[in-house]
Amino acid sequence: MTERVLLRHVGAPGQEDIETYMRHGGYEALRRALRELSPEDVVEMVDRSQLRGRGGAGFPTGRKWKFVPKDAPVKYLVVNGDEGEPGTFKDRTLIEGDPHLLIEGVILTCYAVGIQKAFIYLRREFYRGYRKLERAIAQAYEHGFLGERILGTDFHCEIVLHPGAGAYIAGEETALLESLEGKRAMPRLKPPYFPAVMGLYNQPTVLNNVETMCCIPWIVKYGPEWWLKQGPPQLYSVSGHVNRPGVIEAPLGTTARELIERADGVRGGRRVKAFYPGGTSSRPLRAEHLDVPLNHESLAKLGSMLGSGAVIVMDETTDMVQVIARVCAFYQEESCGKCTPCREGTRWVTQILDRILHGRGRMEDLDLLESIAKNMTGTCFCPLGESVPPSLRAGLEDFRDEFIAYIKGARAPVEMPVRIREGILAPGG
Amino acid sequence: MLSEAAREDIRRLASRYPVARSALIPALLRAQEELGWMPPEAQAEVAELLDLPVELVAEVASFYSLIFTEPVGERVIQLCTNISCLLNGAEEIRRHLEERLGIRPGQTTPDGRYTLRIAECLAACDQAPCMIVGTERYGPLTPELVDRILFENEGRR
Amino acid sequence: MADPGSVTLTIDGRAVTVPRGTTVLHAAQRLGIEIPVFCYHERMPPLGACRMCFVRVEKMPRLQTACTLEAQEGMVVWTEVPEVVEARQAILEFLLINHPLDCPICDKGGECPLQDNTFKYGPGASRFVEPKRHFPKAVPLSPVLTLDRERCIMCWRCVRFGEVVAGDHALKGHERGYLTHIDAPPITQERPSKFIGNTIAICPVGALTSGVYRFRARPWDNRAVPGVCTHCGLGCAVWVDVRDGEVVRIRAREHRALNDVWLCDLGFFGYDYINRPDRLRTPYVRREGKLEPCSWDEALELVARQLREAAPDGIGALGGERLTLEEAYLLSRLVRTLGSNNLDFRVDTLHPLPTRDWAWGMEGLEGGEVADPDSRQRGLGPRSAGGPVDQLELVQTLVLVGCDLSEEYPVLWLRAKRALDRGASAVVLAPKRLEIERYCSHPILHRYGHEHRLLLALARLVRDRMTQPQAAEALEEVDVDVVARQAGVSAEALERAAEALRQGPVAIFVGRMSLMGPNAERVLRAANTLRALCGGTLSLLQGRGSAIGAAIAGMAPDVLPGLLSLDDPEARARIESVWGVQPPPRPGLDTVGMLQAAARGELRVLYVAGADPARDFPDAALWARARAHLFLVATDLFWTETARTADVVLPALAGAERPGTVGNIEGRPQRTEQARLGPEGAWADGTILQALAAHLGLSLTYPDPEAVFEEMRRVIPGLELDRPYPIPRRTPRIEPVDLEGPGIEGEGLVLVPVPRLFRQGEMAERCRGIPELVGEPFAVLHPLDAASVGLRDGDAMELDVDGTPAAVRCRVSRETLPGQVLVPMGFRELPLSRWGVFRKLVRARVRALEGVR
Repeated sequence: MTERVLLRHVGAPGQEDIETYMRHGGYEALRRALRELSPEDVVEMVDRSQLRGRGGAGFPTGRKWKFVPKDAPVKYLVVNGDEGEPGTFKDRTLIEGDPHLLIEGVILTCYAVGIQKAFIYLRREFYRGYRKLERAIAQAYEHGFLGERILGTDFHCEIVLHPGAGAYIAGEETALLESLEGKRAMPRLKPPYFPAVMGLYNQPTVLNNVETMCCIPWIVKYGPEWWLKQGPPQLYSVSGHVNRPGVIEAPLGTTARELIERADGVRGGRRVKAFYPGGTSSRPLRAEHLDVPLNHESLAKLGSMLGSGAVIVMDETTDMVQVIARVCAFYQEESCGKCTPCREGTRWVTQILDRILHGRGRMEDLDLLESIAKNMTGTCFCPLGESVPPSLRAGLEDFRDEFIAYIKGARAPVEMPVRIREGILAPGG
Repeated sequence: MLSEAAREDIRRLASRYPVARSALIPALLRAQEELGWMPPEAQAEVAELLDLPVELVAEVASFYSLIFTEPVGERVIQLCTNISCLLNGAEEIRRHLEERLGIRPGQTTPDGRYTLRIAECLAACDQAPCMIVGTERYGPLTPELVDRILFENEGRR
Repeated sequence: MADPGSVTLTIDGRAVTVPRGTTVLHAAQRLGIEIPVFCYHERMPPLGACRMCFVRVEKMPRLQTACTLEAQEGMVVWTEVPEVVEARQAILEFLLINHPLDCPICDKGGECPLQDNTFKYGPGASRFVEPKRHFPKAVPLSPVLTLDRERCIMCWRCVRFGEVVAGDHALKGHERGYLTHIDAPPITQERPSKFIGNTIAICPVGALTSGVYRFRARPWDNRAVPGVCTHCGLGCAVWVDVRDGEVVRIRAREHRALNDVWLCDLGFFGYDYINRPDRLRTPYVRREGKLEPCSWDEALELVARQLREAAPDGIGALGGERLTLEEAYLLSRLVRTLGSNNLDFRVDTLHPLPTRDWAWGMEGLEGGEVADPDSRQRGLGPRSAGGPVDQLELVQTLVLVGCDLSEEYPVLWLRAKRALDRGASAVVLAPKRLEIERYCSHPILHRYGHEHRLLLALARLVRDRMTQPQAAEALEEVDVDVVARQAGVSAEALERAAEALRQGPVAIFVGRMSLMGPNAERVLRAANTLRALCGGTLSLLQGRGSAIGAAIAGMAPDVLPGLLSLDDPEARARIESVWGVQPPPRPGLDTVGMLQAAARGELRVLYVAGADPARDFPDAALWARARAHLFLVATDLFWTETARTADVVLPALAGAERPGTVGNIEGRPQRTEQARLGPEGAWADGTILQALAAHLGLSLTYPDPEAVFEEMRRVIPGLELDRPYPIPRRTPRIEPVDLEGPGIEGEGLVLVPVPRLFRQGEMAERCRGIPELVGEPFAVLHPLDAASVGLRDGDAMELDVDGTPAAVRCRVSRETLPGQVLVPMGFRELPLSRWGVFRKLVRARVRALEGVR
């Protein structure tokens, strides 16, 4: 097992204090960059590190930065801290456990791309992280790492911490920009609204995830070769039926079996029935895939994806119909309502799954669900609606007998969890 | 209906952004901190402070689940029932909370202390099942822990 | 390689070359290939939300939305492959699962894109067995707008209309996901949109329906007749939908240079008056003090006798707003033939100005090219500007002086908004905060009566910034700081505005808040000075219906038809060759002059055609004195105040009841056709005038209005159908500096009369929905003034001017400045004329009305 990098100091006593952070070598990367490296050098280092975005889409970070027009007079950095993909909690862990690491990554990114203003968009539910980050930012200003003439250079940088207000869709990059502009978080049309050229306030904008930002200080401090030699380090959020759920740092390509072992195994010593390899937007896999390396390529071959690196483990006792119904319900609740297939499709499949769970399913519902999944595939405006078919298909293909058990009455009907807005009456006139 | 302090904070929030409208969500949250929820009059006041048409405030307020456009209790409980919590007994916790508080999700206790809401994933699956009461997160929850949290919250009144 | 400005692609196996920027949707249209849409509307940027317009593009990973996809060189597109057919069926199935399918009782039935697209592209049957989403049905969102959320397919068209086109954000999406629905917060329901009819027109389902048209007709029973809206003077092109002789609906008729495809709500909903049973149906004459019905012959003979008996100087005629050009021309020809130039189309002003200097209407620029909102998507490129209205899109700086654009000429605001969205500046000088203020870069809210000084201050600032100051030394006597202080504005705001003005060319619009007041000419002169320095146009935004058309047709006392100089020898000769006589050589009397002459007993006969001076003339006392000496003839549709006091009342026809042309504020004559027959017994004004001429022994007969128009074209060179008429203008020049202005003595709050789209009136009161939009009479107080007299928003209050009181609803708002109260024009309960607010600055005492709700 390689040494921990991203998590090295997470949770260390006092780590959220700038003094402790600096004692652990914090802000050295920034000092080094401002002293020895040109902005272009930093971009090159990140490019050579092959760092890919850790928000879910896995886009190469260096290339993303290079898309930003160099001569643009105004550009922004927006950090996506709207982590909400079910099963994912690595960003929250980083923010709460090592807030200065994020801040240093943000400042370095601003330096590299020539940005003076960064916004960190934190989902509202991160009350604790917000408080910690707020304090850490204030400390960074006090120590001259933020503000005017940073470390005596003519580099200026400021960070604005911005709260969300409860909307998963704000994690979609263009929806996040809408939200940051004070609008309903509804995704924008691409083109023309590619953030790198027409982002926040229609200005060129770099959008990166929290974990991605936290990689930057390490890459700058020790160089891309070192970084690649570390794995490169990747965070997996491991949860569900494991004994010790948590964020695990492991090289890209670690298998689920290894991760489950590091999480002290499956609860009660039971066997795994299925697992999500990359959050609920990925296709859940059966136990037979426990030894597949969790990386972008291997998972794509299985029709799944690494996504945000959230491994959700389900043991042999798991009711897959309930799981899939809950996942579909989540997307129903969080659909922004802009496009037809997502707004109507997420609702429809949730209604059908609820009916099946209530013991009123029909055999033809299985074909219907499959057909709706097909009709939602490749037709939605943004990835949110497209996140439903993978779970649905896996359910219908790999766990069909469980659906049939509900339909045939072999399983007792269940009351599904009430969701966010149930109990809120339909709007009156 | 907002205090002068809140109005001042909202003006200050606006100054942090190149475009004042960006301060809308922070401003709504600041106002809600004071009022508990965002009645139409308060939305209108935020609109005025940010020099926005009230329609823009209303459409935004209704979009986000943590801007409360209906009255809520003193403390809002956000119980996650999403997948990792579901796998770890969130339904049991929900039934326990319903029983303890005597309300269903979406409702407020008659004494106005608590509103129970179902949350989507709170990104704390390592603490599943989990919930947020007010602005504090708790987990992994057991019925006993829930009782303790409610008791201590009573005490904190 | 082909032209770099164009691309060639293949759609369904056929090649098509289109300009770069064209969307696949429109490229397909060029081949006659239809791709269904819901959310896409040509006048707004593509959204890509409904997902109806899927096509397969080779080498692209998934289905593409044709409305958002730019055609690229070599693209291979398929619109009817099985994959696309299935995807359309899927989208329609999604849209229909929660749709109530109540087509038999839906107003949209028969002209519904959802119905049509389902018929053409939909799935055979629905597989949906779950409970449908339910919302309350038929929610009245305003007096004229009914929303059925269950029918809504969330295409966002109405929402985007409010954002992109109107800027009023009247309708918004609320909630999210499957609960997303359209709504308007209560506060907007109190302050109705002026453009909501357009959302009904563009709604692709029956979700938004007209509270006025609801359940009145099926579209296939309607006959659509081209017409022109005459409510405000912009002359929006409309379709008049008629069913069984009843006007059931008004819709926008596309006119790229004017209203494009939009209308305001007065135009959209304000048509019902025409169908009312209380229309005048027979002539009346006054016998022993009482108006009694009589025959046409009898009435006309009586009028003819009065005209014959009066000296030429003793007769006069008023009207124009509601006349066709042809009718105005006939009236002018008749009166001038009788030897009088006492003609005026202006009945609502106390400050008539020389016509050739200060003609009402819009001044245009030379040429210019305009890009329509859909030109890029369609690959059309810019087109030649069609007149002053669409040239508005080309100005760098718009200057509104006492002009509440969206209240006075709402659809003109839609044009202006496009210029502002493009980055043009707008300097606003007004004694009230305009609703459109947030779109204006330089709003300057000032004390009433100061705009001429502010214009001079701006002129001075512009001049000071010029590298080679023109010979405008006179401006040096303008002390910007003093002017600013007196007007209650900041000198810095003026400086910033002057910066914008320097960018030129400017379009200066002087509106009724300035033109109705005592300073009108001072304001215009100051505006002309500013215009001379900045370059650009100066327009007098005044005149409703066909008022300006009437002026061109000859209803002005100091000019010949065509607004030509009275002593223009060529024009006089031309007229004589057609009329057989020359018009009188000396200027006649304007409305004020005629009424003064009547009050002195010098003017005996006044012929009022389709006007209501008894109500609209802003000096009620003068009207009363004049009336006492007059033989008054009135033609109208209803018992107007003027008709009730007239000696002869002649029942006339409404706009949609007779053919002819209508001239708008550009002087653009547009043809309007007969949509329905008028009430039996009523005649068109044109018919009345020809018959009257016959009674006078004059030969004035034409086979049809076209013949009249042909004659007008011989008399008035440059008059062309649907072309703006070259209205003469005062030359741009540095005018003498005049900083004078009426002072205000006494106590109380200064009354500021403000125009309003929704106002009372004979027509408005007879239209369903409009009285509710007009609402109660009100006055707007600044919060400080309201507090000082203990008034809160919504309280009943009294305004009192020298013992003449008025009770109104109090609105408390920062729309006004402390010390001045806004009073809307067009409310009977507010006796603005009697208070004299158009003659001088007037103060009112304000108090709460206790115990009144």
